[in-house]
Order: sequence, then C-alpha cells, then structure tokens
Amino acid sequence: MEVNYSGDIMTLNMGPQHPSTHGVLRLELKTDGEIVADAIPHIGYLHRCFEKHVENVDYAGVVPFTDRMDYCAAMNMELGYVLAVEKLMGIEVNERTRYLRIIMAELGRIASHLIAAGTYGNDIGSFTPFLWCFRDREDILDFFEETCGARLLYNYNCIGGLTQDIKPGLEDKILKFLDRFEPEVDNLNRLLSDNFIFIKRTADVGILSPEKAISYGVTGPNLRGSGVRFDVRKDEPYLGYEEFDFDVQVGKGEHGRLGSCWDRYMVRIREVLESCKIVRQAIAKLSPGDVRENVPKRIKPPKGEVYMRTECPRGELGYYIVSDGSPKPYRLKVKSPCFTVMSAFRDMCKGTMIADVISILGSIDIVLGEIDR
Amino acid sequence: MLTYFRNIGQGILTIVNSMAVASRHLFKPSVTLQYPKEKWAMPERSRMRLHNKVEDCIGCGQCARTCPTDCILVKTEKRGKEEPPVFAADGTAKKLRTYVFDIDMALCCYCGLCTFACPTQCLVMTGDYEYSVYSIDEHIYHFAKEKPLIPAGSKEQSPSKG
Ligand code: SF4
Ligand code: SF4
Repeated sequence: MEVNYSGDIMTLNMGPQHPSTHGVLRLELKTDGEIVADAIPHIGYLHRCFEKHVENVDYAGVVPFTDRMDYCAAMNMELGYVLAVEKLMGIEVNERTRYLRIIMAELGRIASHLIAAGTYGNDIGSFTPFLWCFRDREDILDFFEETCGARLLYNYNCIGGLTQDIKPGLEDKILKFLDRFEPEVDNLNRLLSDNFIFIKRTADVGILSPEKAISYGVTGPNLRGSGVRFDVRKDEPYLGYEEFDFDVQVGKGEHGRLGSCWDRYMVRIREVLESCKIVRQAIAKLSPGDVRENVPKRIKPPKGEVYMRTECPRGELGYYIVSDGSPKPYRLKVKSPCFTVMSAFRDMCKGTMIADVISILGSIDIVLGEIDR
Repeated sequence: MLTYFRNIGQGILTIVNSMAVASRHLFKPSVTLQYPKEKWAMPERSRMRLHNKVEDCIGCGQCARTCPTDCILVKTEKRGKEEPPVFAADGTAKKLRTYVFDIDMALCCYCGLCTFACPTQCLVMTGDYEYSVYSIDEHIYHFAKEKPLIPAGSKEQSPSKG
C-alpha cells in the first residue's frame, strides 16, 4: 500500500506484556498518527536454549523438551521429532501406532486451531467464542489426559511407538465428542465468522499475497489462507496420510481481497472439520496391535543426518538432526513455522492502522515458545 | 449514505443472529467447576507427583539415568554377604542397599520417562497435585529408608545433582 507519511514518526512499544501478543513478543511500532509505518518484531523473550540443551540429552529425553516448544500443539511437536529419529534409524512402526498417532495429531490440531480461533475472537473483542472454544478443547485435553496422564505436555510419542496404548473405549468417546462438536463449529461460524463487525475488522486487512507468502517461506494455514494449495500431509505424505480422504482448505477471498486475516482465520475453521474427518477414518481403520512392538532397546542412531518435515497446526515443522553415532544428538535444528511467518509480519503491517496490528498478529497464530525455542 | 445504513442493518442482523446462538446457552448447565470446593476425579494415568515404593526399589539407578533433567539422586551400596537376602515384591533380589533416593520435584518436568524405565515398577506418578510448599527445599522428597552401613565404601550411582 502506498502511504504518504507526514514524517512525524513516533515509536510505540507494543508488548512484551501485551495480552494480544500471545506470549512474550515486543513489537516496535513506528507510527505516523494512526498509521503504522513499520513494525519491527523483537523476539527472544522465551528463549530456553532448546537446540543447545538437547545436545546434552539422549534421544528419548528430547521428547519432553519438544513438547515445550509449542505448548498449544505439543502432540504434533513430538510427532515431528520422533518421526525424524525413526527416519534416521530406519524404524517402521506398525499400523496401530500409525493410526493412533494420526488420531492424536489431528485431535491436537483441532485443539490448537480452537485456541487460535478463540483467542482471535478475544483479541478482536468478542469474548463468548473464546469460552466456547476452550470448552470444546477441554474435552480433547481430557482424552489426552486419560491416555497419557498429562493435559498439555504429553510425552506420548516415543521413538519407535507410543509410551502406552489408549484405554479401551476411548475411540467411542472420541466419536461421541466429534458428533457433538461438529455442529458446534456451525455455531461458532454464526457467532463469530459471519459476524459483520468481525468481518469488518478482519477482511481486507493484512493482505499477504500468494507470491509474497511463497517468497517469505510462509507455510501452513497462513499460506493456504493466501490461496496456495500446499499441505505437507498431501504433498509429501508421512505416516500414511495418503490413505486418508481429506481436502486441503484454502482461502477463497470471500470478503475482500485474497489472503486477508479473515481468510487465514477461516482456513483454520475449515481445517478443524477436515481433521474431524481424518479422525473418524483413522478410528475406523484402527486394528489391534502392540504399540511398543518396534520400540528399540537402545536408541543409538547411525552416523548421518536427516530432515523430516511434518504439518503441525501452524505450518511446516522441520527437524534437522545430525548424528555422530552417539546416544545424544550432535546437532538438532528446528525449522519453525511461526518464525517464518513472523518475517512476513512486518510486510503485512506496513501502512495499516494500529488496531489492525492486533488483527494481523492474531490471524497468523504464532506461539512464541516455538519461535524463541 | 445508503451503505452506511446497510452496514448498520447488517451489523444488527448478525449480532441478533449470534445473540440467538449464544442465548441458548443461558439455559444449559454450567461446564465449569468451582475448584477448591469441587474437584475433578483424576484419571488413573495422571502424571503428577512421583512416588517411590522404596521397599520394591532395587537401586538400579535406571530412573536417574533416563531422567532428562537429572532430578533423581540414587546412592547405593552392596549388601554384605552375611546379611539376610531382601526381595522386592516381584521377587527381584535387592542386592543393593538404597540409602539415598531423592527426587527434586521442583526440577522434575513430569515427563514420566523414569517410571517407564523402572524395572520393578516401584516408581510411579500419582494423581496428587496439591503439594505446594513454602520453601523450594521442601520439594526434595527423600524416599530412602535404609541407612548405609559402611559410608566410606559407598558408590554413587548417578552423577545427578539432586
Ligand atoms: S518425571 Fe521425568 S523429569 Fe521427573 S523425575 Fe521422572 S524422568 Fe525426571
Ligand atoms: S529404576 Fe526403579 S528400581 Fe531402579 S533405582 Fe529407580 S526406582 Fe529403584
């Protein structure tokens, strides 16, 4: 957008304690009146030295630390890591493990997208959807808690399998939940997505054009919100996602230009329904088996390196592991989806109003724990 | 001018629409619990405070080696030949006398890896989540009951900081 600035620039610090920054993020806003001339994100407030720390922890012990990167979707975080190590060691897991992992990952995606939608509504000024989303997410967390004992930091996947099997009867509970939950999405749409004020605040704001999204390396719902049909689950299937029937949802630009905040938000809502579809199919395919069958006694991968990418709720999550043949990773690098979208954030903000910064920040759905690591 | 009124009209319409959705919930029972008065039943796999049935612990130190945060300290010594043999509940002979078994729950990240590693299943995570204390030192739990006989010859099992 071409804006003529008056030249009277004021610096405004937004964060690190601002409630809508979803963590601890400082935005240095250069404002010209109401218009944002520049928004410089300052990250690192949640830096916990993850990558260096895990060089001193054995491979199995890294899993609880990966949970703590993206605490809203811990299941997907650890899934990416265990898949990377399994690829490095050449372990094939059995059917039951695969499907259980998919069920858990998709439930995790639903839970994460529910937070994203709920808190986004909260940022924009609508409090009810926030409570509803958290109520439905609570049920998913209950399933996780029943399965692995923890509500947020699961440590459920382990290298070569799962730490424990699900409790008998959990499948029925999940199906029952899905039956109740899917109509709720409709309610959420009526309450929030189609709300005129919400649309006014989000549509045509923070445009990320498809070309720009690709050139910035944005992935996940943010990329699909710009209309690019790319999903690692479809384009480079892992865990047997190719057996499942689901659509990759993209933004269509119903309200205003393509790639707006509303499109990104709506992609998440539609993806929730797709995830429900996948969970149903995976439950139908579930066969008996031993989830700890392929768990190796000693985890000592051969020398080498591996890159594994998975689709976590926020985009493409990559783990790059270098092994020197010892029981601890020589180097572990995480390609974080939120970090890449943060780089595009500055571009999206230029020339918008100060209030729109909140809209844009909420719509890209970042988790600072993963950016800073 | 026309758009102005149309916008207002549409705004009111969608708000009425969402109010209709929301107001149905006025008559539904509440989903929240008033925590200190009411409590959730914890599922049986809950991963909260660690507990060690020290009678069954063979002092192998597996748990301390697996722990990613090094919060378990195990110190053992060999039992003398002339001492009567002691057995854990599952029949494993307790060749070592565990005279220090400390867990620093303030350091623990509740991952549960130690409980999977334990060969006798004596280290378990319980569903107890109300154990806040005034001083951080009180979070170090001392489980060992036996006293060392020959302190000088003792061997530390793990380099853990405890
Ligand atoms: S639960 Fe995890 S962090 Fe805590 S003592 Fe056991 S292994 Fe260590
Ligand atoms: S692994 Fe179990 S038996 Fe071995 S020292 Fe730890 S608690 Fe005791």
